[in-house]
Amino acid sequence: MSELNIEEVAQRLEVEAKGIDSLDALENFRRLYLGRRGIIAQLTSLIPTLSQQERPVFGQKVNSLKNAILEIIKEKELVLSSKGDSSSKQRQPLDVGLPGIAQPLGRLHPITQTINEICSIFIQMGFLVEEGPEVETEFNNFTGLNIPQEHPSRDAFDTFYLAEAGGDAQAKNRGEDRLLLRSHTSAAQVRLMKMRRPPLAVVVPGRVYRPDAVDASHSFMFHQVEGLVVDEGIRFSDLKGSLQVFVQAVFGKKTKMRFRPHFFPFTEPSAEVDISCIICGGKGCSVCGFKGWLEILGSGMVHPNVFRHVGYDPKRYTGFAFGLGIERIAMLKYGINDIRLFFENDLRFLKQF
Amino acid sequence: MKVTYNWLKDFVEISLSPEDLADRLTMAGLEVTGIEKKTDDYVFDIEITSNRPDWLSVLGVAREVAVVTGKRLKNLRLPVASKKDLGKKILAIKIEDKKDCPWYTARIFKEIKVGPSPSWLRSRLELVGCRSVNNIVDITNYCLFEFGEPLHAFDWDTLGGGYIWVRRARPEEKITLIDGTQRQLNNEILVIADKTKPVAIAGIMGGKDTEVSSQTKTILLEAAIFNPVVTRKARRYLGISTESSYRFERGIDPNAVGLATSRATQLLQELAGARLTYIGSTTKPKTKKVIINLGLDFVTRISGVKVDRATVKGVLKGLGFIVKEKQDKKECLVVERPSYRQDVTSAVDLVEEVTRIYGFEKIPTTLPAVKPQQVTKNKLVFISELKNLLVGLGLQEVITYSLISPDILNGIFDSKEGLASINNFLNKEQKVLRPTLLPSLLDCVSHNIKQKNECIAIFEVAKTFQQKLDVLKEKWCLGIALCGTDARLTTQGLLKEEFGWLHLKGILEAIFERIGLLNVNWEMNPVGNGFQIKVKEEVIANILKPAVETLNNFDIKNKEAFLAEVDLDKVFSLPKKEKRFVPLPKYPAIVRDISFVVNEGILIKDIIDRLRQEAGGLLEDIKVLDFYRGRQIPEGFISITLSFIFRSSERTLNEEEINPLQARVCQVLEQSFQARLR
Repeated sequence: MSELNIEEVAQRLEVEAKGIDSLDALENFRRLYLGRRGIIAQLTSLIPTLSQQERPVFGQKVNSLKNAILEIIKEKELVLSSKGDSSSKQRQPLDVGLPGIAQPLGRLHPITQTINEICSIFIQMGFLVEEGPEVETEFNNFTGLNIPQEHPSRDAFDTFYLAEAGGDAQAKNRGEDRLLLRSHTSAAQVRLMKMRRPPLAVVVPGRVYRPDAVDASHSFMFHQVEGLVVDEGIRFSDLKGSLQVFVQAVFGKKTKMRFRPHFFPFTEPSAEVDISCIICGGKGCSVCGFKGWLEILGSGMVHPNVFRHVGYDPKRYTGFAFGLGIERIAMLKYGINDIRLFFENDLRFLKQF
Repeated sequence: MKVTYNWLKDFVEISLSPEDLADRLTMAGLEVTGIEKKTDDYVFDIEITSNRPDWLSVLGVAREVAVVTGKRLKNLRLPVASKKDLGKKILAIKIEDKKDCPWYTARIFKEIKVGPSPSWLRSRLELVGCRSVNNIVDITNYCLFEFGEPLHAFDWDTLGGGYIWVRRARPEEKITLIDGTQRQLNNEILVIADKTKPVAIAGIMGGKDTEVSSQTKTILLEAAIFNPVVTRKARRYLGISTESSYRFERGIDPNAVGLATSRATQLLQELAGARLTYIGSTTKPKTKKVIINLGLDFVTRISGVKVDRATVKGVLKGLGFIVKEKQDKKECLVVERPSYRQDVTSAVDLVEEVTRIYGFEKIPTTLPAVKPQQVTKNKLVFISELKNLLVGLGLQEVITYSLISPDILNGIFDSKEGLASINNFLNKEQKVLRPTLLPSLLDCVSHNIKQKNECIAIFEVAKTFQQKLDVLKEKWCLGIALCGTDARLTTQGLLKEEFGWLHLKGILEAIFERIGLLNVNWEMNPVGNGFQIKVKEEVIANILKPAVETLNNFDIKNKEAFLAEVDLDKVFSLPKKEKRFVPLPKYPAIVRDISFVVNEGILIKDIIDRLRQEAGGLLEDIKVLDFYRGRQIPEGFISITLSFIFRSSERTLNEEEINPLQARVCQVLEQSFQARLR
C-alpha cells in the first residue's frame, strides 16, 4: 500500500460514514477499520517495510486516520444510541440488571417516621410542634392534670421516680416538686399552658416511661404525641373533626372512626377513639380481636380543673386534648408484632421502613 | 368484669339481642370486650373505667341498660328485716379509725345449714368466673356481684368473745388466710380482729380459722366499707387481688351495703334455713348532698351540639339524678346526684353524662378555628433537619433506652458523679438516666455485629441527663457510631473500606458546615483517645475511639469503633454563619497541583497555614486533592497533593506570573517541611 491508498481510504471513509444507520452497521464499520485485521492494522503493518525517512510521515498519517475513524465512531455512537434501537437485545443502552451507583442513604427510625407523619398533618392544620422535658415534676405529670393524690397511677408501680439528690434538693423535691419520668406527654400540657396564653394549638411528641415488664406488647419506654387546643369556643365537635382529618390522612379516606365514652381525669367528656380495623376493614380478624375496631387514642375536652391549675379561666376558655401511642400506630401501620423490635435496632429491621 | 344477659334481665326488661346490647353499652362507655354464648345465657366481658365503681355490679350495669334502651328498672322487692325476732346485744363493734372503715355492719344468723348451693346459684357464679364453695359463701359472692358490695361470713363460734375490732395490724401479727397462705402483717394493713387476733384482712380476704365450714351453725355476716387507699396498699403489699379488694379500692356506694345485706338475708333464709338474730352497725356515714346547676347552653358550649331540655332531663333522670328546673330560668337545671355517683362533682361531668347517652356519634364534626400563634426558633425543627442531613449522609437512625445500667459507662463516662438515678427501677438495666448516648450506641453496634451486619453507621438524637447540684440538667445530644466496613460499588469495582476517624470527621464537617457553625476547632482530648470539638472555648462535641477493653465489655471483638457525641443544645444556641452573596469571579483561575512526600508527623494544617502566608496575594485557596500512605511511599511518610488556586479579581493571570509563586511554595515545602517533591 502506498500514500495514495491512505488518501483513498480517507475519502472512502467519509462516504461510508454517511451510510451508517444502525449500531450494527457501526460495529461492522469499526471492525472493518479498527478490527484485528482491519484497515488500520494493515496500514500499520506496512511501517516496517518503509524507509527511515518515510516512516514518521506515514505513521503520522495513519495515526490521524485512526483518530478520524475514532471520532466518527464516537459521533455516530452518540447519534445512534440517542435514537435508541429496541430491535436488538444485545444493544440495550444499559444492562438494567446491574445495580445503580449512588451515595447510600440511611433511614429515619420507623418511630421517627411515624411521629413526623403525624406531626406534619397537625402542622398543616395550624398546630405548632412543641417539646417538654422527660424528667417532670409530680405537679405537671399528675396534680395539674386533675389526677387525685391517691390515684393508683402515682404509685411506684406505674411511674418511675428519681432518687432524691443530696442536700437542698432533698427538701425541695418533695410533694409537687418531686421529680419523675413523665408517664405521659400530657405533662407537657400543664407546662405549656403555664408558659403561654390562649389561643393554643400544639402537638408534643416525645418519650414517656412506665415501669412495665418488657414483653411483645409492653415497653418501659415508649413514645406519645400529645395534642392540645385551647381557645374561646372550642367544642367536642372540633375534637371530632380534627381527629377525623388526622385518621383519614394516616389510615386512608375510607377509614371509619368512632368515639367511645371513656374516663381520663384530665378531660371531661373523655373518649377513646377506635378506627375500623385496617387489616380486615371491620369484618373482624385476629389483629382487631374479631371486633372490627382498633383503639388508637384517648381524647377529650380539657377538664376545667386543669384550666384552674394553670390559671386559665374555665368560664372563658374551653379546649380539647388527645394522646396517641406512637408504637401502637407504627405497629398497626407496618404490621409489626413485637414492640421490642423498635429498641433492638437491628439494621435489617430498620432498613425495611 | 363479667355479667350475664339473663342476670341483667332480673333487673330490667331487655328486648335487644345480646350483640346489639353490647354495642349500645360500648358506645355509652361500658366497653364490652367479649360476648360468650353459654348453654342458656350470654356472658359479657365489660371493661369498667376507674371512675365508675357503681358499674361493678349487675344492678349498676342494669341501670345503664335501662337508660340506653329507654326502659325502667324493675322493682327490687327486698324484704325488710323485722326487728321483733332479734335477740339481745351479743356483739360489740369497735373501729380504731373511722377513716379506715367508715361503716361496719354485721348480722348474726343462727340455725345455719351449710351445704351445696342450688344449681341456678352455682351456674350463675360459674358464668361470671366464681367457683362455688358452699351455699353460705356462694350467697355472699352472689350479693357481691349483684350489688357491688363485698360481704364476708365468719363462723361465729370461732370468733372470740362477741367482739369485732377493725384496726391496723400489729407489727408482729400473722394470719393464715382462706387460700391457705400464712401472711406476716404490718401497721399498713387493716384487719378485722376479734378480742385477741386478726381474723380477716379487711376488704381482701378472710382468715382460715374463722371461715364457714360444714360444721358451722351460726355466722356473722359482715357488710362494711373500707378505705380504698388502705385496701389498695394492702393488696399490693400482700399481692392478693380479689373481687372484694377490686371493689373496695374503687369505692362503695353506702346504699349498696343495705341492698346486699337484705338480699343475703333473704337468700340465707331461703337456701340455708337461717334465722336472723342480731343486727349490729356503726353509724351510717352521711352522704353529702351534691347539687349542681347545669345550663343547657353549657351543654352546647362543650359539645358543639344543641340537646333539647327534655332529652337532657330524661337522660339525667334515667341515670338516677334528681332534676329540677330553676323557677326563673327554665334553661337552667338543678341536678342532685344519687349516692352511687360520687364521681359527678361539676356541671361538666353532667355534660359528659348527657352527651354519652345522647350519643357521641350524633355530635357533628367541625374544625376548630385555629388562630396563628407566636412562633419562636424551634429546636425540634432544627433536630428534624439535622436528622434528615444525617440520613442523607448514609447513617441509620436508632432509638435506644434512656435508662441504663451504670456499669456500661465504664471506659466511656468515668465520672460517676452527677448521675441521675431511678428510685424504683425494675432491674439494674434501668438504674440511671444516661449522661451520654454512647454506651447505648455501642450496645447497638454489638447487637448488629452479632446479626452479621458488616456496615454499621448509626446515630441517635435523644436527651442526656445529669444532676448538677440540685438541678437536673436535661439536654439534647446527637450520638454517632461507626464500626465495620463501608462497601461501595463504583464503576472501577467494589470499594471496601474500614470505617475510621476520617469518616467520622467527614460526617461532622458536613453537618457543621450545613448548620453554619463558625470557628470549629478540633483539639485532642485530655485522655488522648480522641478529640474535643470546640467553638471558641465551648466544648460542643466529643470524638473518641474506645479502648479495646471497653469494646470487649460490649462483646465487640477485633473491631474498632468510632464515636461522636454532639451537644445539640449548645450547637442550637451558638451563632450561625449568615448567608451573604459573594460576586462570582470575573476572571479565570490558574490551578497548580503540587505533589510531595513528607514525614507523617508533620501536620497538614501547619503546612497549609504556612503556605497560605507564603504564596502571595493572588492565592485564592489551597485544597487537599489527595493523600496517600502505603505502597510506593516509604514507611512513616505520607504523599500529599495540594491544589493551589490563583486568581485576580482585576485581570486574567498569565502562567509566567504564577511560576515564581509555585517555585516559592516548593521551596518552602522542601526547606521548612523537608518535603520531597514528586
